[in-house]
Amino acid sequence: MLREMPTTAIRTSRLTKDYGAGRGLFDLDLQVAAQEVFGYLGPNGAGKTTTIRMLMGMIRPTSGSAFIFGLDSVRDAVDVKRKVGYLPGDVPQFGSLRGSEIIAYLGGMRGGVDRESVRKLAERFDLDLSRRFREYSSGNKQKLAIVLAFMHRPDLLILDEPTSSLDPLNQQEFYALLREARDDGATVFLSSHVLSEVEHVCDRVGIIRDGRLVRVAQLDELRRIRVHHVEIEFAQDSAVPGSEIRDAEGVEDVTVTGQRVTCRVRGSFQPLLSAIGDTTVVDLVSTEPTLEELFLSYFSERKPKALTS
Amino acid sequence: MIAIAFGLRLGRWGIVGFSLAAFVSTLVQTVGFYQIAGQGPGERIAFGNSILALASQFSALFPPPFRPDTVGGYVEFRGFHPLAILFAIWALASATGAARGDEERGLVEASLAAGISRIGLIGARTTAFAIALVVASAAAAAGFLVGVAAGHETVALPGVIEASGLLVAIGLSCYTLALLVAQLAAARAATAAAGVLLLALFLVNSLSRVFDSLSIWRWLSPFRYYDLNQPLPPGGPFEPRALVVLAGVSIFGAAIAAAAFDFRDLGAPLVRLPMPVRPESQSVTSAAWWRFPVWRGMYERRLGIAVWAIGMAVLAIVFVSLTRTIVQVLLSIPSLLPYLSIFVRQQVYPGVLGFTWFNVAQLLFAALAITYVARWSAEDTDGRLELTLSQPVSRAAVVVERMATLIASALVITAASGATLYYASHMQGIDLNPGRVVAASLMLVPFAVVFASAGSLLAAWNPRAAVGVLGAFAFASYLDTELGSIYKLPLWVQDLSAFKLFGTPLLTGVDGRNLALLVLLSLAGLAGSILAMQRRDVGA
Repeated sequence: MLREMPTTAIRTSRLTKDYGAGRGLFDLDLQVAAQEVFGYLGPNGAGKTTTIRMLMGMIRPTSGSAFIFGLDSVRDAVDVKRKVGYLPGDVPQFGSLRGSEIIAYLGGMRGGVDRESVRKLAERFDLDLSRRFREYSSGNKQKLAIVLAFMHRPDLLILDEPTSSLDPLNQQEFYALLREARDDGATVFLSSHVLSEVEHVCDRVGIIRDGRLVRVAQLDELRRIRVHHVEIEFAQDSAVPGSEIRDAEGVEDVTVTGQRVTCRVRGSFQPLLSAIGDTTVVDLVSTEPTLEELFLSYFSERKPKALTS
Repeated sequence: MIAIAFGLRLGRWGIVGFSLAAFVSTLVQTVGFYQIAGQGPGERIAFGNSILALASQFSALFPPPFRPDTVGGYVEFRGFHPLAILFAIWALASATGAARGDEERGLVEASLAAGISRIGLIGARTTAFAIALVVASAAAAAGFLVGVAAGHETVALPGVIEASGLLVAIGLSCYTLALLVAQLAAARAATAAAGVLLLALFLVNSLSRVFDSLSIWRWLSPFRYYDLNQPLPPGGPFEPRALVVLAGVSIFGAAIAAAAFDFRDLGAPLVRLPMPVRPESQSVTSAAWWRFPVWRGMYERRLGIAVWAIGMAVLAIVFVSLTRTIVQVLLSIPSLLPYLSIFVRQQVYPGVLGFTWFNVAQLLFAALAITYVARWSAEDTDGRLELTLSQPVSRAAVVVERMATLIASALVITAASGATLYYASHMQGIDLNPGRVVAASLMLVPFAVVFASAGSLLAAWNPRAAVGVLGAFAFASYLDTELGSIYKLPLWVQDLSAFKLFGTPLLTGVDGRNLALLVLLSLAGLAGSILAMQRRDVGA
C-alpha cells in the first residue's frame, strides 16, 4: 500500500559547505520528488558524502538550506530522522557487539522497529546476527548497515554508496529491495560512482563534480551519455568487418590490429552487433569508462561549469 | 628506520603530553621544595622528618624516600617515583595499542604488506617507544635541573642521568611485558590482561614492604629493581645490576613478544580459548535493556563495570589491611607522635584510611572518567556517533545519556567499593561511621562527573585531542591541590581542583560548599558540551 507524502522529498536551496581551497559543495539547488529513486553520481571527492551529511543534519551548511519533506534538516533534525533510513559511506565500528545487539541498540533508540521485518531482511541477505561485529567480513558489515537503514520502513532512504563491498548476488538482492521500497512508496537518494549501478535502479540522476552539480538527467539521457570501451577478437579464419564497424552508428575511435578490433560505443550496442553480423567472434569484452572519461567525453572540458537541469 | 619513524609519528601526542607532564611535574616539585623546606640545615632536617612520616602512609605505593631533606631526595620521592607509575601506564596503553589496536585499524596489516617482517615490526615499535621514553625522561631531568638552578643550588649530573635512565628502563620493561601479553590475549581483553599483569607486578613489590610474606616473590617484579635505586640525592644508592636486569626484561619481553607475533594469526590471539559454537541466527535479541536509555549503555559496558567494581573492592580490602599495619608502625615512632596527634584526636584509623584510600580512589575515578571520555571520542572518530545521530534522537539527548550512563556506572562501582571498605574495616576491628562511608563514597560520583563533563566538552570540541587534554587537565588539577598551599595560590584557583573540592569526607563529613562547587562545575561542563555538540559537524 502506498504511503501518503508531500510531493517533494528533498529540496536544497543554494546549499553550500565551503572547506576552503575550493573543497566542499557549492550552491546546490536540487529537488527530488517523493517516490522517486534519485541517483547521485560523481567521482571520489566530488562532494557526494558532504551533500548527504548536510541532508542528514550531521554537518551544518556554510550557507543555503536543505529540506526533507518540508522539514529543515538542521532545525528539525530529530523529526527528519524519524522519516529517514540512512546508510553511511563507512560502516562504523561496533567492536564486540553482536549483530542482533547492534540492531536492538539502534532500534531501541528509534523505537517502533518490527523484529519480524528485521529477521526477514537478515534472512534475505543471509546475515548471521549472532556473530560479533569484529568477526564480520566487510561484506557482512555492509549488509548489517543495509538492514539498519531499511529496518523501520522509512519514507526516505539516503544511501551513500550502498553496494560497496557487496558481491554481485547480494547487489542484485539489494536492487530488488530498492525496487520494493519504491513500489511501497519510499523515496530513495542513492550516491554512487558506478554509472551502471545508477542506470540500473534510478529514475533520475544528478551528476556532481568538484563540488558542483553539473547535470540532472533523465535515465534516457544517461543512456545516451553512457560510453563503453569494446574489444573484439575475431576467429583466425574470419574476415574482420572493419569498415562496417566504423560506419555503425554510435561507434567511435575504431582501431583494427590483426584479428582484434577496439572501439568506443555510445548508446545502444545494436548497431555494432549488426555490423559484426555473422562473423565468428571468439572474444568480446565491454568495459565501462571511468566517470572522469565520461566527463571528458560528454563535456569536452576538464573543469565543467555548473549547469542547470 | 621508516617503521620507527612511523611508530614515533603514531605516538607523537603521547610523547608531547608525557614529556610536558614530566617536565612540569619535576619542575614544580623542585621549586616547591625550596618554598617549603626552609634554608637552614635544622629546618631541612625537620622537613625531611615530616616527609618521612608522610611517606610511611604511602609505603604501599612508593618506596621510603632517601634523604628527603635534600632537593634530590625530595624530588626523587615526589616527582620521579610517581612518574615511574605514570610511565608504566603510558607503556601499557602504547603497547596494547601498538599490538592490537593498530591491528584492528588495519595498520599492522598494511605495514606487513609493505614488506616489513613481524619481528622487524615489533622491534621498530619497541625502539620507537624507547626513544619516546628517552625524550620524556630527559624532560623530567630538565625540569629538575631548571628548578635546582632557580633555587641557586647545584646537583651531581650523574645522579640525574641515572634517575632518568631508570625511568626509561622501567617504562621499557613494562612496555615489552604488556606487548607480550597483548599477543596472547584476545584483542578486546588485551589491555585488561596486560593491565592486570602490570598491576600484580607492582603490588607484589609495593605490598612486600608491608607484608613480609610477599617479599619472596618481589624479585619477579621490575618495580623491585627500580626501587633498589635512588640516585638523585647525594649518597643515594645506585645499583647498576638492577639497571641490567631491567634491560634484560625489556629485551627478553620484546623477543618473546616478537616470537609470539610470528606464530599467531593476524587478528587472533596466540592462545585461543575454546568457545561454544553459537547457532546461526537472524533474530534480533528481545532483551529489554536495549530499549531504555542508560540501561543500554550500562549493559554494553557490563564487563568493564564489573571489572572496575571488583578491582576497587579488592583494592579497598588491601588498603584496610594496610591501614592497621601502617598505623602501628607510625605509633611506634615516638618522634612522630606530635605529628600524628591531629589524627589521634580525630580517630587515627579513619584518618589514615580516609587519607590513603580516598586519595587513591579519587585518582581511580578520574581514570574512570577518562576511559569513558576516550570511548566517546572513539565513537565520534569511528563513525558510531554519526549512525546514532541518524536515529531520531537529539544531540543534547546523546550528551545527557552519556553522562547519565557514567553516573550510573560510577554509582555501581562506588557502592561496591564503599560497602567492601566498610565491612572489611569492621572485620579488622576498625569501626567507621557508616554515614560518613556512604557520604565519602558518594562524593566520588560528582568528583568523576567533573572530569567527565570537562571531557564531554573536549570531545564535542575536538574528539581526537579530548583524552590528551583531559589527562593534562586532571594532572593540572592534581598539581593544583598538591601545590596550591605551597605556592600560596588564590583560593578560587585552588577551588578549581576537583581533588581539593573532594575534601576529607570520611574524617570531617561532606563540605556543602565544596559539593555545590563540584555540581556547579559539572553542570557548566555539561551545558558547554551540549552547546558545542549542537554546533559542531559530525563525521567531517
